[in-house]
Amino acid sequence: MIDVQNLSKTYGTFAAVDRLSFKAEAGEVVGLLGPNGAGKTTTMRMLTGFMPPSAGSARIAGYDILNDSLEVRRRVGYLPERVPVYPDMTVQGYIQFWANLRGVRDARRQTERVLESVHLLERRKTLIRNLSKGMRQRLGLAQALVHDPPVVILDEPTIGIDPQQVIEVRQSVRALGEKHTVLFSTHILSEAEQVCDRVIIINHGRILAQGTPATLRQQLQPGDHLYVQISGASSAAGQRLLAEIEGVQQVQPQGIGFHVRAAVRANLRGDIAQRVVQAGYQLEELRPVAMTLEDIFLDLLGREEGA
Amino acid sequence: MNKQIIIRQTQVGQWFGYAGGAGLMAALVGFIAQSGLTEFVGIALTIGLIGLFFWAALAPADFRAFVSGRQMRYSTGAVFGTLLLLGVVALTYVILQRAVITLDMTEGQRFSLSTETRAVLNRVVYPMRITGFYSPRLLSQREIDDQFFRLYEVETDGLITREYIDPEQQPALAQRYSVTFDGEIFLSYVNADGSTDFSTTTRVPISESQERDMTGAIARQLISGTLTVYFERSHGERDPLDSTQEGMSGINGGIQESGLITQPFDLQQVASVGGDLPTDASAFILARPLTDFSDSEIAVIDRYLKRGGALFIMSDVLFNADAFLRQDGKFNQFLWNNYGLRALDAAIVDPVSSQDTPLDIVSAAVYTDSAIAARLDSGDTPTLFRLARAVEISSNPPANTPNGRIVLSSPQSYGETNLKQLGETNTYAFDPEDIQGPLTSVAWAYNQKTGAKILLVGDSDFATNGQVLTGGNSILFTDGVAWLTGYGDQINYAPQAYRTGLPLMFVTGQTLDAIAFVTVILMPGLVLLTGFIVWTRRIRA
Amino acid sequence: MNGTWVVFRREVGQYFASPIAYLIAAALLLVTGLYFNADLTFSVGTKPAEPALIPLLLSFAMVFCAPLLTMRLLAEERREGTLELLLTAPVSDGAIVLGKFLSAWFYYTILLALTFIYQIILVSITQPDMGHTMAAYIGIWLYGGATLAVGILFSAITENQIVAAFLSIALLFILWMGELIGQIITNLELAEVVRQLTLIGHFTSSFAVGLIRAEDIAYYAGITALMLFIAIRVVESNRWR
Ligand SMILES: Nc1ncnc2c1ncn2[C@@H]1O[C@H](COP(=O)(O)OP(=O)(O)OP(=O)(O)O)[C@@H](O)[C@H]1O
Ligand SMILES: [Mg+2]
Repeated sequence: MIDVQNLSKTYGTFAAVDRLSFKAEAGEVVGLLGPNGAGKTTTMRMLTGFMPPSAGSARIAGYDILNDSLEVRRRVGYLPERVPVYPDMTVQGYIQFWANLRGVRDARRQTERVLESVHLLERRKTLIRNLSKGMRQRLGLAQALVHDPPVVILDEPTIGIDPQQVIEVRQSVRALGEKHTVLFSTHILSEAEQVCDRVIIINHGRILAQGTPATLRQQLQPGDHLYVQISGASSAAGQRLLAEIEGVQQVQPQGIGFHVRAAVRANLRGDIAQRVVQAGYQLEELRPVAMTLEDIFLDLLGREEGA
Repeated sequence: MNKQIIIRQTQVGQWFGYAGGAGLMAALVGFIAQSGLTEFVGIALTIGLIGLFFWAALAPADFRAFVSGRQMRYSTGAVFGTLLLLGVVALTYVILQRAVITLDMTEGQRFSLSTETRAVLNRVVYPMRITGFYSPRLLSQREIDDQFFRLYEVETDGLITREYIDPEQQPALAQRYSVTFDGEIFLSYVNADGSTDFSTTTRVPISESQERDMTGAIARQLISGTLTVYFERSHGERDPLDSTQEGMSGINGGIQESGLITQPFDLQQVASVGGDLPTDASAFILARPLTDFSDSEIAVIDRYLKRGGALFIMSDVLFNADAFLRQDGKFNQFLWNNYGLRALDAAIVDPVSSQDTPLDIVSAAVYTDSAIAARLDSGDTPTLFRLARAVEISSNPPANTPNGRIVLSSPQSYGETNLKQLGETNTYAFDPEDIQGPLTSVAWAYNQKTGAKILLVGDSDFATNGQVLTGGNSILFTDGVAWLTGYGDQINYAPQAYRTGLPLMFVTGQTLDAIAFVTVILMPGLVLLTGFIVWTRRIRA
Repeated sequence: MNGTWVVFRREVGQYFASPIAYLIAAALLLVTGLYFNADLTFSVGTKPAEPALIPLLLSFAMVFCAPLLTMRLLAEERREGTLELLLTAPVSDGAIVLGKFLSAWFYYTILLALTFIYQIILVSITQPDMGHTMAAYIGIWLYGGATLAVGILFSAITENQIVAAFLSIALLFILWMGELIGQIITNLELAEVVRQLTLIGHFTSSFAVGLIRAEDIAYYAGITALMLFIAIRVVESNRWR
């Protein structure tokens, strides 16, 4: 559905997006993950035909974004980051306007349907200027969906709204994946993890990693991570003890215990338990630590900055 | 450090690029405006090329991307599209301007020619030229006038042409035409070589009706030189060359300016040899002869009238024995017998309708049914006669010779018949011999068979330089001459053919207040109220 | 075409939903009303009613009104970010600009229609030259269209409404100055050419005197088309710049 090839955007000499390539299949929810200024918005703007790429190309539903811009725009629903609205229109008027502009046939019914789905139907006579931020966000979402596009592009749809609504929005995005291809940007990892079939991590306009949250975790989590808590030993002694175990690469104090990172090998935990007991301490706790995407992400960013 | 320098170099290159672009644009504009490779265009072009060169040298990547890139393609497309559209618009404009397609929406058809004007223009056979003097300040007035003048050019297939001259730029030419004000218009015949024939140049008057002014001027130009008016000079008449208050140089000049020729005529001498009035005599003016005519002189006039001549008689109260047109004189008798007109030996005394003395009579009533008096509205333009003579029309005129009165005195007036006393002591009083008013002071007669016309006015002072500009005196004279000579028929001027202008408004103060209330308070108020309602309803939404 | 219609409808709705539009209409009625009354009081008994009174006033007023009516049309969209949605909707840039222009023209037409009240009053108290008046109104209608197109162009160029209004007032003022050209330029031919290029030069000496000329219609239609064309190219340039 979305096929991006070496997409680049330079502002003057500054490369905001740098040779980005990725694909999204039909019915996939793809998360574009990156810190502020990573180039997420810029990428989306190019894909929706708002601005041209400096180099590279992209196809949406088989149409080139530059040469068949109109066909692309017909098939894309877009929620910009700023959620632009006309404050002096009513909720219904606003959605119906976009429905009409996008040539939706039964505009009135579609409007009601989409307003219903974002729980704004009872507010349809309200002026947009009187809506709360969260409502506006949902209104923007309704706007992007009113013409039932095969591809939906959402630029940080959950920023600035309360946790309750965040969950709702995430659920609706998740639900979108059943019928639409969704490209969705965020800088919150847990969100990407929850919502996306696939995550693309970018920074400085370049892809750092991509894959399903699970594979990413696997790929990016080489070795075991364990939490070990020992009683009876000083912190320094405990750390020394653990570090001496074969395969352990790194030991960091974490709370009253230690975070141990080690190469994957058989019977690591047994060895740890054995060594602790041998040294005359007590093993209070030993459990694997599942790394979140968050950790991986920060890890990746850290590595990049270091490089 | 190194990086910074590179950026700066690129930026410098870009600045050169902008400068180059600006230079090329300037060169293009200059080339179009000055239509040629002038010095300015050369300099701008050089700057442009140098700029482009440094751009390419300092920021080669940038330059390459620009030249081969999307930007270049689209921006040149946009620029060429704009230029193309501009060309199409300009072309359409010029074509339509040449085609002169206009729609006159005014009620009075101010920018269309009447059938009367068309008839006059049909008679134009030699090229004429409308010359307008307008300074650039009057450009918009000129364009408005030109809308109208070009109708004449179109109607005559270019026989009448237009030319406009800036009097400030060509003062010598303006002097040649003796231009007195900005926006003045002249009409002249054009010589075979295309130059203006200044001997025929006349000033086009400027009044409310542009069409009347212009068509009248053309008509005068057409008949100029074809009509000759003769002034009788052998009986002590008023002198048409005398420019004193008592003279008649004013009307003489007026006639000439209308395109008629004036000539003196010695009736006594011609009569003595049995001669006749010249065949080109359109009218014969007797401007108060002092002495009465002899038989042979009457015969000359008779022959002239029989061949369709026109006679303008101004006769005053005279006190000499053989005064012109004595009531019982032969000439008076001749007029009465043949044309049903005569003068009475009575001075009109009007105590009601008069000025300084009851002898300075002001027209009390005017019969406006004749062509002569059509413009003589007694209210606006009364005639003023000093010591006028009563005239009489026959109620039983000769066959085919209808007659009529034009100017009457008031019913309270009377005709003083004791002229002797009047002349010697300047006293008058109503007594039984006197004639009871109202009395006629101007009358006409017309022989339908021969075409002879006579206009008899019982006064001559009205046409003197001292009096002719008073009230309707000049109208009486010029329209009299126009009727006699057929001038009026020739210029084919039918006043009703022209718009009289929109009617004036007459509204009471109360109505004005009501209008002010509706337009200044009610209407804006209603709109504001609607806005307020809309606003409150929105607020609640 | 559908896009034009949808944008047109939204903008017209916007005009009539905002109190500002009513405020402008009321102000215009007040000014023209005062002017009308002043002329009426002055004319009574001395001269016939001036048939092109209101159009002549508007020919000057539009220099300031047209930018005010059009400044927000595109500049606001750009500033508020709604342009991003508009430009990613499947409509041509031409349809957007055209729809906005037509809506402004429509609103202006309504304003013009409101001033017909003066003609109705005149008809009831005297015999005005209605043909002449109609010509003047047709002229000022086209004239207004051209000035609005100029306003749209500047609204497309900048995202700052004030700047847009200021620039278009400046340009319109220059185009309006035709009447004064003669006083500045002493060369008659040059003055005439310059006058042909100005907005006012195609109004005061034709429409305003009751004459409809094909060339004047071509001029206003041409200016309008040209301005809109450039405005469309400016909006479009977002896509390739
Ligand atoms: N019009 C512009 N001119 C110059 N630089 C720009 C422009 N727009 C964006 N940038 C730069 O491009 C980079 C990428 O911006 P972008 O908005 O795509 O980031 P983002 O990933 O969406 O960030 P955020 O999470 O804050 O929304 C940023 O460094 C930004 O400063
Ligand atoms: Mg962003």
